[in-house]
Amino acid sequence: MNKTDTSDRGTLLTRPRNHARAVGRESLPAGVSAKDCRPTTTHYLAVPSVIALRDVSKIYQRGAQVVKALDGINLTVPERGMVALVGASGSGKSSLLHVIGAMDRPTAGEVIVAGQSLSARSEASLTSFRRQTVGFVFQSFNLIPNLDALENVMLPMEFNGVARDARRRRAKELLSRVGLAQRLNHKPRELSGGEQQRVAIARALANDPPLILADEPTGNLDSKTGQMIYELLKEIATERTVIVVTHAEPLAQLADRIVYIKDGRLTSHDESAAPHDPPLNQERSKPYV
Amino acid sequence: MSMVRIGVRNLWRSKLRLVLVAALIGTPFFLLLVMESIGDAVQRQTDVLKESVNNTLQLRARGSMGHVNMVGNEDILPQDALAKVKSVDHVAKAEPYLLAMTPTEGHNFAMVVGVDPDDTRRLESHGEAGNPKIIAGRDLTEADRGKRVAIIGQGFAKWAGLKPQDIGQATLTLDFKRTHPVIFALDRPPVTLTIVGIYASGYVFGDMQLFMPLDTFREVYGVREGISWLYVRADSAEHLPAVEKELRATLGNVADIISPTTVAEFQTTATRAVQRLASSGIALAAALMVIVIFFVMLLVVRERAWEIGTFKALGASNSGIVIGFLTEAVLMCAIGALTGALLFALGGGPLAQLIFGLGITPFLPAHYNTLASTLALTPRFGPATLGILIMACLFAAIAGSAWSIRQIIRLSPMEAIRHE
Repeated sequence: MNKTDTSDRGTLLTRPRNHARAVGRESLPAGVSAKDCRPTTTHYLAVPSVIALRDVSKIYQRGAQVVKALDGINLTVPERGMVALVGASGSGKSSLLHVIGAMDRPTAGEVIVAGQSLSARSEASLTSFRRQTVGFVFQSFNLIPNLDALENVMLPMEFNGVARDARRRRAKELLSRVGLAQRLNHKPRELSGGEQQRVAIARALANDPPLILADEPTGNLDSKTGQMIYELLKEIATERTVIVVTHAEPLAQLADRIVYIKDGRLTSHDESAAPHDPPLNQERSKPYV
Repeated sequence: MSMVRIGVRNLWRSKLRLVLVAALIGTPFFLLLVMESIGDAVQRQTDVLKESVNNTLQLRARGSMGHVNMVGNEDILPQDALAKVKSVDHVAKAEPYLLAMTPTEGHNFAMVVGVDPDDTRRLESHGEAGNPKIIAGRDLTEADRGKRVAIIGQGFAKWAGLKPQDIGQATLTLDFKRTHPVIFALDRPPVTLTIVGIYASGYVFGDMQLFMPLDTFREVYGVREGISWLYVRADSAEHLPAVEKELRATLGNVADIISPTTVAEFQTTATRAVQRLASSGIALAAALMVIVIFFVMLLVVRERAWEIGTFKALGASNSGIVIGFLTEAVLMCAIGALTGALLFALGGGPLAQLIFGLGITPFLPAHYNTLASTLALTPRFGPATLGILIMACLFAAIAGSAWSIRQIIRLSPMEAIRHE
C-alpha cells in the first residue's frame, strides 16, 4: 500500500456518521427502552450500543435430539471496537453470529441491532437489514468465482441500489485501501488466500454498514496473513463494530473485548460478571471509553 | 453487474458441461423440429388431397331422380331449400340444377340441364370428375342469363348434325311433345336454342347432354320454381359429415342426400392420426427438455447453494437471484435450441423421413404405407418454427426450473456458511 493510500484510509474504512442516532426509542420493541440497549457497567455508560441481545436462545431439532446452540444469551456490544467471540467448536459462537447478522432467527429472546428489532421481521425485511446494516466476512471468503475482485465488491452496492458509477468508484477505492489496487480485475482463483480475504473485507464495507461480522476470518490463512487480516479488521473497528468469531486465543487477544461462549452460554474468566453483561477484556476496553 | 449478467456469465463457467447440456437439450429440440416438420408436411399433403377430394353433397327430392319430365321421378326440391342450405355452417357453395330429358333415337335419350352460368357443369353419374371441356365455341357466361343459348356435348351435337365449324349459327330445337318409355310429354311449344359451344367429357353419356342458363330452362320448360338437384360444397372434407348432418336436420324428409362421407371421414381420420402422433412427439420432446433442464438446474442449485446463501447474506432479494438463475436456464435452452436447429438443418430431412417411417407409419391405416416415402420432409425454418423454438425455450426453462426456483427461495443465507 503506498503512502497516498494510507493517507486516505481513514475516510474509507471508517464511518464518519454517528450511528448512535440509529438506536432510536421508536424502533425498539415494547418493554425495551433505548437504555436497555446500552451496557450497564460504568465502562459503557457513555458509549451507545449497536447490539442488544436479551435472553436469546436457539434450539435445533436433529431427529429426536434437541440441540441448544444458544441458551439464554444476554449481550450488549457498543458502537465501535472489535469484539472477539471465542469458543470451542460447537460452542455456539457461529450460531450467535448468525443470529446477530439476521442470517438465522432465534428460537426465543430479543435481538436488537443498530436500533432495529429483528424478532418479528419478514424475510424480505431481514434481507434489507443485512444489506444495509451488516457486512459479512466468511472463513472461506465466499467470493463469487466468476466475478473479478472489483465486481465482487460492487455486488452488495448493486443490491442496495447504488448507481453503477458510484459503486464502481467506491469499490475501486475500497480495494485500493486494502492494498489491492493492482488486482481489481483478478478473479478469486487468481488471488492468494490473504488477498481474497481482503477483497471479502472490502466487500463487507461496501455499503458502509455499522456492523461487520467475521466468522473465523483467518481460519483458512497462514498465521502471518491471519495477523495481517486481524490488523485490518482492527483498523476498521475504530469507527464501527467488528465482531470476530475465532477459536484462536492469540488473535482474540488483539480485540478490544473478548466474549467467551461455551455450550451456548456466555462464560467468563470473571464468573462474578452479570449474565447480561459479559466479561470485558480489561486490557482492551480502553478504546471504548 | 446485474443478476441477469451474472446469469449469462454463469453459463460459461464450465465449458464441458455447457457442451453436454447443449447436446442433451438439443436432442429433444431436434426431435421437436422433426415432429413439427412431419406435422407440417402432413398438413400440406392433406391440403393437396383436400383439393381433389369430393367435398360435395348432392341433394334431390326424396325418392326422385328430379327430372322435370321423367315418369315417376318428376318430384323436385322446393325452392326454399336453396336458402336453407346456404344458411348451414361450413357450406361453401350451393349450386342448383334443373334437369329434363329429351328422346334422341330408339330408346336413347339426352339430358337437358339448367345451370347458373358461373356454376360447375356436372355430368350426370360422373360428378365433378367428368366436368366437360369446351372443344368448340365458348362456354356459357353471365351475359347468357335468360337467353336461349346452350352448350352441347359432342355426342349430342353429332346426333343433331352440328359440327364445330357451325358454332355461332347452329341451333337445336327442343320438342317437348316427344315421348320415351321414361319421358312424358309436356304441353309446351318447341323452343329453338342457339348452340354457342360444344364440349367433350370423355364419357359417352356425359357427351349426350346440353347445358342452358337456369332461368332459360325455367322459361322453356315452364318450371317457375323448384330445384332438380342441389349440389352443396362443404368448406373442407373434415366438415363434410357435420354439413350432411345439419342438412338432414334442416331439410328433414324433403331431400335425399348423396354424400362421399366415407371418403371424407377416412381422409380426416387418417390426417388427424398423423397429426396427433406428431403432436405427441412434440409433447414428448417438450417433456424431455423440461426433464433435462430440471436436472441440470437442480444440480446447479445444489452446487451453488453456498453462492446463493452468500448472495442472500449480502442482501440480494429472492427475485434478483431467481432472475439470474432463470436467465441461465433460458440461455441453456436457447443454446440447446440452436444446437437442435443446426442438427435439423444438417440432417433433419432424412432423419425425419426415417422417424416417420419407423415411428409413425406402423400406426397408420394400410393406405398410408407409402406416405413415408412420398411425404416431402424438408427442414424448413419460417417464423412459425422460430416462434415454436422461442416458446419451447421459455416453457422448458420456466417449467424445468420451477422446482429449483422453489429451492432457491427456500435456501437460507446460512448456506453461505455451510460452504466452509
